[in-house]
Amino acid sequence: MSDRADEHNTASQEAWESDRSAGRRRGGPGRDRFSLRDPANPVSRKAIVMWLLEGLFWSVLLAVGSFFLARWIDEDRWSWLPVWVLDNIWWLPGIILVLLIPGMIVEPFWRYAVHRWELSEDVVYARSGWISREWVFVPVSRIQTVDKAQGWIERMLGLATVEIRTASHAGSSTIKGLEYEVAAELAEGLARRAEELRDDAT
Amino acid sequence: MTGPAADQPPAGPPERGIPGSRTPGPETPGPETPGPETPGPRGPESPAGPGDLIPGPVAAGPAARPGPDVPAVAPGAGGLSPQGPGGEGDGPPTGAPLRLSPKVLLTDPIRMLPSLFVPLAGVLFIGGFSPGSFVWAAMGVVGSVAFAAVRWATFTYQVVGDRLELTRSLISRSVRTIPLERIRGVDVSAPPLHRLLGISVLRIDTGAGGDDKQEGELDGVTVEEGERLKAVLLWHARARTARRVQARGADQVIGEAGPEGLADGVPARPGTDTGAGTVRHEVGDTTPERVFFVLPRKWLVYGPLSGAYLLTPFALVAGAVGLAFQLGTEFGIDRRVLVGAGEWLWEHPPFLVAALVVLILAMPVVGAVMYAVFNWDFSLRAREGYLIAGRGLITRRSVSLERRRVRGFEFVQGPAERGAGLGRAWAIVTGLGDSQTRGQLMPVAPKGIVLDVVGEAIGPIATDLRPHPPAARRRRLFRAIFPWLVVAACALAAVELWSGWWWVLGAPALLLAVLGVPLGLDRYRSLGHTYDGTRLSVRSGSLRRSQAVIEERAVVGWTLSQTWFQRRAGLLTVTAGVGAGSGGYAAIDVGEDDGPAFAAEVTPAWLTPFLVEPPSPGVRHGSPGPPGSSPPSADSANG
Repeated sequence: MSDRADEHNTASQEAWESDRSAGRRRGGPGRDRFSLRDPANPVSRKAIVMWLLEGLFWSVLLAVGSFFLARWIDEDRWSWLPVWVLDNIWWLPGIILVLLIPGMIVEPFWRYAVHRWELSEDVVYARSGWISREWVFVPVSRIQTVDKAQGWIERMLGLATVEIRTASHAGSSTIKGLEYEVAAELAEGLARRAEELRDDAT
Repeated sequence: MTGPAADQPPAGPPERGIPGSRTPGPETPGPETPGPETPGPRGPESPAGPGDLIPGPVAAGPAARPGPDVPAVAPGAGGLSPQGPGGEGDGPPTGAPLRLSPKVLLTDPIRMLPSLFVPLAGVLFIGGFSPGSFVWAAMGVVGSVAFAAVRWATFTYQVVGDRLELTRSLISRSVRTIPLERIRGVDVSAPPLHRLLGISVLRIDTGAGGDDKQEGELDGVTVEEGERLKAVLLWHARARTARRVQARGADQVIGEAGPEGLADGVPARPGTDTGAGTVRHEVGDTTPERVFFVLPRKWLVYGPLSGAYLLTPFALVAGAVGLAFQLGTEFGIDRRVLVGAGEWLWEHPPFLVAALVVLILAMPVVGAVMYAVFNWDFSLRAREGYLIAGRGLITRRSVSLERRRVRGFEFVQGPAERGAGLGRAWAIVTGLGDSQTRGQLMPVAPKGIVLDVVGEAIGPIATDLRPHPPAARRRRLFRAIFPWLVVAACALAAVELWSGWWWVLGAPALLLAVLGVPLGLDRYRSLGHTYDGTRLSVRSGSLRRSQAVIEERAVVGWTLSQTWFQRRAGLLTVTAGVGAGSGGYAAIDVGEDDGPAFAAEVTPAWLTPFLVEPPSPGVRHGSPGPPGSSPPSADSANG
């Protein structure tokens, strides 16, 4: 039974490949052609500061941690480590800093370019991430709760996060770094619209 | 029609008695009870305003009962919503924000006592009964009271318009908004201490999947306030049920769950379910029980092929050793004897090997026995809108799955089962906790029979799965091989640096890396997704190849994700959010263009506004108006 399925697989795979090459010819530059468009609205510019501060916080934590680790290893001369590691242990904080700092600086701007959101046709469409990306589509009619939250950094900057929940984690979305007023308006509008749509659907 | 009426009295009296008598005065401020406003603005959007909802054709019974009391409370909740759209969020709140009962200052610290007890005992142990330790103890108690006081002071709740808002503000401020429409059940409970103080815990069930974080809990409201709030919150739910019955007529309620099946799953609200059940009786649709499947006893031997219970012998040994260590002293067995026995075994490898061989030989036998005990006389029946799966030799358990809440099924095969042509199936049901054990539809049985039974009980399995692009095969192979190669490389480096003992780690890692080749290829062969117009299906996995078949109406959202590696390979993973089963079913490593196209094919109205171009010719035709389609109207919220 499985053999037959596999046969079928290869057959339709050829179909797939021909289909794809046809699509390439039609759609222009193959790999970069991506049929999802960008969501309309960027998040607040202040979100860059937020991500910068968050990154700074974690970087400092890691750097200090690695510094103490290096000092500990250096003082105690851990016997199970090879000698060349022990001799050069003070490179550890340095390497970590060298690796962290570019990431710390790049991440906020990269994120700002990626993080976008949109509400139209009663669907929330949000994109997030930086190295890895995530696109989430949540139809307003399926929303169960809308939360609006502010961490302390966000509070300082006047930003807010909107958390949109449905019955499934895979259909739930979190939009970070919105202007407080925008977030409030969005949350309010979503909650109200969700009720209306739910009424209709019921 | 008398059904709903008969069901509701149990809920009715307490709500009526208490809120009727006291709450309207102090709790819901008088001015808002909006007699005139209510019917007007709300009318066009929802079929009925709070006032005329219940007295409708549902029945005279329930209408008369909630009628007089609930409107006294509920319009405060329901009536304000019309102002919402106009006032754009500036609308005055309905009630003043309310706090929990101050009595929580007593219950919270007492509940924290157990966690304080250990440090306090430590302090007493170290410091003796010196004044110092009493100071510490006092500080602990004061601290916990202060903590409770802060929690109490910073938490408020409030019914604003059609929503319940739970606000906690100290350093961060978070508002949880629960639309009243979404509430499926309200559970009032009173642990002993709470009962003593006359307060209770209110749990609000919104049917949200997953963690408790999404549910609302008010720990420590006075009993009266609890009942009042319950009346306000449930009023909406009941009104909705009434509306549904009214709108559809009894027949449809039986036949189909409707697009809003999600909201129908109301475990905590017997009113709806039994109500529907009674309607069924009236219509005379009392079909007798129908048996889909009874597991023949000889098929029980297939059990171990699924891998179920195979590790039982090891678990038994581990459990026995643990028990011996725990209870050893009580039965006069010294620990040293046990440790000594272990050491003796370690020093005599033949015995160790023999013990292992015995355990391994016992695996299929014990596994089969355990499997038989749990799945003895498995049967799947249908009765009055329920699927009933019964099984078990010693404990006979039967799980009733409401058919209108079934959204699909999952067909699972391990490698051994695939070789022998067997399979298992689970139902995907909304609002079913612990679905992995409770949702079982078919135990291990020949594949054809499993699919026949499932096809009859729920629906046919999807065939003709679309394969994923070749890049997905490279990724599956890479993921199956590379981690073990890394481990092997590290182990080899360690062999060079330190000792040959690292071969113990390196050799198995190398072997696993080699085995990763067929595994990765097989994983790729498993990948597939399809949509046939009403059901979508995704398949993945090799050691546990699982194909999920889900109705389109169960989808509540989509997540497309792409790691950096996937991006380079031109792939992405499409996860359909489903308010049932495991919550999300993923088509792994779909082509970058096919992913959005697949989602758009299943729910065109949700995706097409965001597609730059119609992705592929195959997709366009498949766009029947889904339930989610709605007029474009919320663009004002974009700014």
